[in-house]
Amino acid sequence: MTTSPQENTPVIAAQALTKIYQRGREQVRALDAVSFTVARGEFTAITGPSGAGKSTLLNLLGCMDAPTSGTLRLDDREVHSLDERARTELRRSTVGFVFQHFGLLPTLTVAENVVLPALFARRSSARRAEMLLEKVGLLHRRTHRPHELSGGEMQRVAIARALINEPRLLLADEPTGNLDSATGDSIISLFQQLNAEGLTVLVVTHNAVMTAAARRQLALRDGRLTDGK
Amino acid sequence: MNWLKLSLAGWRLRPLRTGVTAAGVGLAVAAWFSLLSFQAGYRDGMKNELARLGAHILVVPKGCPYDAASIALHGASWPCYLPAAYLDEVCAAPGVTTAAPAFMTALHEGTSTNTVYVGVDKKFLRLRPAWQIRGRFPQATNELLLGSEAATRWRWQVGQTVPLPGLTNATGLVSGILGPTHGAEDDFIYLRLADAQHLFAHPRQLTHILVRLADPNALDRAVTHLRGCDAGMDMNIVPLAHLFHTIQSLVNSTRLLLGCVAAVALLVAAAGVGNTILMAVAERTREIGLMRALGASRADIFRLFWWETMQVCLVGGVGGLAFAFLASRVLENWLRARLPFAPVDALIRWEWWAAAAGLAGAALVGSIAGFLPAWRAARLSPVLAMRSTGGDA
Repeated sequence: MTTSPQENTPVIAAQALTKIYQRGREQVRALDAVSFTVARGEFTAITGPSGAGKSTLLNLLGCMDAPTSGTLRLDDREVHSLDERARTELRRSTVGFVFQHFGLLPTLTVAENVVLPALFARRSSARRAEMLLEKVGLLHRRTHRPHELSGGEMQRVAIARALINEPRLLLADEPTGNLDSATGDSIISLFQQLNAEGLTVLVVTHNAVMTAAARRQLALRDGRLTDGK
Repeated sequence: MNWLKLSLAGWRLRPLRTGVTAAGVGLAVAAWFSLLSFQAGYRDGMKNELARLGAHILVVPKGCPYDAASIALHGASWPCYLPAAYLDEVCAAPGVTTAAPAFMTALHEGTSTNTVYVGVDKKFLRLRPAWQIRGRFPQATNELLLGSEAATRWRWQVGQTVPLPGLTNATGLVSGILGPTHGAEDDFIYLRLADAQHLFAHPRQLTHILVRLADPNALDRAVTHLRGCDAGMDMNIVPLAHLFHTIQSLVNSTRLLLGCVAAVALLVAAAGVGNTILMAVAERTREIGLMRALGASRADIFRLFWWETMQVCLVGGVGGLAFAFLASRVLENWLRARLPFAPVDALIRWEWWAAAAGLAGAALVGSIAGFLPAWRAARLSPVLAMRSTGGDA
């Protein structure tokens, strides 16, 4: 079997990625020359204490923010030089987000929450939404509203939503942080299943089970990568 | 799921506040609609009433010409009279094809209603070519022609001898009943001019003369002649076209004032809408950040909040139009009691163009009021918005 050149390129290629915030007169170096790559199909966990720069890194990888310096390539496209509009376009086509607090809109049903990113991407999505809800075991809840779901169910809906635009990269910020351990384990299993199907997954987590489930771990401290394998 | 549904979802977060804001827009639109509709209704009503007179010039005794016109149009007792001999001078004016003399008076009948008697001769029929008479125009002494509503009210029939309302020991023979004219005339009782002068003890006197010209463009010449003739000092020559323009300009000056009030109402509504949407943006900052993370562009966010504003305004506008329509009868009665020259036709009626103008006003309010909040929402940094505590997302 041969692989295409695109399949050989990393999904993430960060080189000397730096992000400096201005807080009053003080400059805060949230990320300091971080370099790493994530290959296609990898399951990577990023760990580190609070304030280590995990969320800043996730924001840069998710094209939510621009780096102060350094280069970032996402799915073989340069991100660091893109303007806001191009970053939005890349984000909606390449990245799926999962948040610690689920981020479901309370006034929409489960199915409507799932198709929301497809609406922004101007895609038709009803059939895929049903398929994804079936995949996460919540098709029977598609007309319910978020307040009628348990925490685990809400996170499953959020995962289905993150997958609606067929992203190359799934970014998750503490996806088990608001769940009990049993529910958290089921979410970890879902991540493993998605990764086994070929999806590149990068998770920021404090959860030891999640970290162990990832095939690769990166540790951040004071804005620098201190450990990785 | 579509954009409309997504923007409607915003309503569910704060239904009461959204409803109150929409009601503010609705009241402003109702005011606009009523004003525009009234202006059109009054103008058309006046035009119809003056057209129903069938004359180009109204000759009345000296006094206020507008009062005289109102009395001639709606029927009432006249405070002073013209000598019948003046009719010859009016007939002799250049371009006059018909000069129809009339004697009008109104008698109180009970506590509230008046019975209007109008004495005319056959020349009057030349001014009313559209009249449809069941029976015949009064030709003999004591014969009466009843307006359609008068006949219905008293249940009188052609050929019946009836007591004359408001008079004692006086009777008349109903010679004809007039088809509906949809004007004040439907309530009048017509009789021969000589009978009216005799009955009300004003022999050889008239209340007004209706003058029709061969060529309406020759109005100024005829008016100049009539004002310059021997009787001109004792008569008021009222060109009805001028009367229409004068009354209309009086109404227009009031409209300007009312228009300013309605404009202020729209501005207040716009401020209310803007404030509501600004609060919504502040409360939903985190939701905005979330949507940006999920792929929404700045234009998407702008559109979302702008649409929400437009929906509030358009729903308020439709509600305001419905309210104005339902309340139009009450408002009309209130206005009618205060206007000196209110035509009998509906003053406030459903006008599609006025409704469209009201909705356009609501949309304009939405566009203006929604721009700043939508722009602010679109300019939010997705990272900072996600860190915000505003919103439930």
